[in-house]
Amino acid sequence: MIGENLRQFWQYTGFANFEWTYLLMICIGLVFIYLAIKKEWEPMLLVPIGFGIIIGNIPLFPGLSVGIYEEGSVLNILYYGVIKGFYPPLIFLGIGAMTDFSALISNPKLLLIGAAAQLGIFGAYTVALALGFSPAEAGAIGIIGGADGPTAIFLSSRLAPDLMGAIAVSAYSYMALVPVIQPPIMKLLTTKKERLIRMKPPRPVSPTEKKLFPIIGFLVTAFIVPSGIPLLGMLFFGNLLKESGVTRRLAETARGPLIDIVTILIGLTVGCSTQADKFLQLKSVYIFILGAFSFMVATFGGVMFVKIFNLFLKPGNKINPLIGNAGVSAVPDSARVSQLVGLQYDKTNHLLMHAMGPNVAGVIGSAVAAGILLGFLG
Amino acid sequence: MNKLRFILVSGIAVTLSVFTLSAQSQSDMRLNELLIHNETNFEDDFGFHNGWFELFNTSYGTVNIGGCFLTNDPNNLKKYIIPKGDVLTQIPPRQHILFWADNNPYHGTFHINFTLEESDTIYFVASDGRTVIDKIAVPKNLGVDQSYGRIEDGIGSIDGSGEGWGIMPWTSPSTNNAGVDEESKSQIMAREDPGGWILTMTAMLVVFSALIILCFIFKFTGHVATSKQQKKSTAATADTEAAGTIVKETSAETYAAIALALHLFHEETEAHDHESLTITMSHTDRSYSPWSSKIYTLRQTPTLKKNQR
Repeated sequence: MIGENLRQFWQYTGFANFEWTYLLMICIGLVFIYLAIKKEWEPMLLVPIGFGIIIGNIPLFPGLSVGIYEEGSVLNILYYGVIKGFYPPLIFLGIGAMTDFSALISNPKLLLIGAAAQLGIFGAYTVALALGFSPAEAGAIGIIGGADGPTAIFLSSRLAPDLMGAIAVSAYSYMALVPVIQPPIMKLLTTKKERLIRMKPPRPVSPTEKKLFPIIGFLVTAFIVPSGIPLLGMLFFGNLLKESGVTRRLAETARGPLIDIVTILIGLTVGCSTQADKFLQLKSVYIFILGAFSFMVATFGGVMFVKIFNLFLKPGNKINPLIGNAGVSAVPDSARVSQLVGLQYDKTNHLLMHAMGPNVAGVIGSAVAAGILLGFLG
Repeated sequence: MNKLRFILVSGIAVTLSVFTLSAQSQSDMRLNELLIHNETNFEDDFGFHNGWFELFNTSYGTVNIGGCFLTNDPNNLKKYIIPKGDVLTQIPPRQHILFWADNNPYHGTFHINFTLEESDTIYFVASDGRTVIDKIAVPKNLGVDQSYGRIEDGIGSIDGSGEGWGIMPWTSPSTNNAGVDEESKSQIMAREDPGGWILTMTAMLVVFSALIILCFIFKFTGHVATSKQQKKSTAATADTEAAGTIVKETSAETYAAIALALHLFHEETEAHDHESLTITMSHTDRSYSPWSSKIYTLRQTPTLKKNQR
């Protein structure tokens, strides 16, 4: 009797249900955690995702209602926010409440760099179509080039739920790799003279302008792309909480505890969703390749746009093309890359403040692009 | 003033809540299709062929029609009450529900107490028993197993005129009138734009347009703000110059008088800029605290590093 019980118990253990694919995924999870702790690459995201990958890849006896894909399990309930797409807008609320749009308001032409960098999304879209993905899948893959994890999750949950795990992991991985991917492209596309361009210091922005920005920004973008309302609405609402000056507590909650809680939940559940049997497919490999490609095209688009734009600007108003990369969103990492690369050529030329303009414009641009893709393909 | 503000805010809140309530509600339901003479068409759960009609939820939210009324008599709008409490009366977004007009309400929620043969017009009435949400004149020339419905689900008249209605090429009880084999947006894009270039161009154009509009707006607001700032600073400079003139004209006696007045004011009101630095210590009965206890090891036990030994 005891022997029979033990034999039955053995069948429930992870050892009895073990396959090498699970071990591979657990190793990937461990690499994520290593990169987060040792290299400090996006630790807030890679630690929850990495540990989530480990949780999601413990071999399970099916039917115990513990797996993320088993209806009613705790993980399945937490995953609901990803499937139904309500975690990403909450993260956007927090991003809005912590973002200072002053750099953009003081120099609005930087908004256009944020638009140009969206080329990465559509470049990857066309290549994905050529590789045989359906338009909906290609749109979901392309959004990786927006360099915005929440937007990628939001759109893929609508257009290609089956690919969401791979898309989310790819988007966050490449966001962490921004300091590695972008500098060679920036250096390749610019001359030494261009890298030394000094930009005019931004003018001080009045509190009224800061209050008007989220209201006008939302009205314009939402009327043009209503399908982007969940992301744009929350982003600008969060910013209004910050800038209104009368909702300090709400703003602090949105950019503090709320975004932290949602980041934990989204990171962990996205990690869990990469169960080996669903994740380890040829499609996932393509997604990772296309993700890298979209980041490169986005960087190319931003930098090249600045170079072309400079042809039409007066000598004193020229833009340093090293801030073009920041249009890919990935706040604030890509802006930091602009600053670091700029300092390599001129120790006194600080580009961070200028790069924050296209950086936050990239957030708006990628949300608008996601809305367009959802409108056409959803 | 406060009362006025309260009334204003309450008014806005009530108006908003009324609109919100009616936005996705019974008023979104539409009579959608009907069949009078049923010989070989759809049969009910009891195996009978009876006339039927269909309601369609035009909204993107679930609508509960429990408590609403169906009738064929304009003088008796409460002829058949749709039972409350039946989970099946909750109609999901963009879905249909079928009623059997068999004059046999004992067969269940969806069997009503009149037939279509005896009806000139059928009415769908709100749960208040007064508001007619939709009505349609029953055509008398309808053939056997032939249905009459909206050409497109939910689109057309609600005043009984029959605009947007017609004899259907096939019957479609509980499903879309326009057919169910529509292509998804993704399939349409795959057919019309296989390379993705049209979408790419369109999307980039839209993204640029949105951000160019924003750019112009904020350029304009920036100009307004800058000119306002300049005006302010000009006024401030003028004030400083005026203040400078006053300072020059003020005598030392006046300063002394101002200083004395301030000193006296602070003494009287006991206003002071810094707190007293006196610390008072009082004895407490509790002489023991675990925070400093060694037995609870709440403090790290000092250890010597190798090179210190």
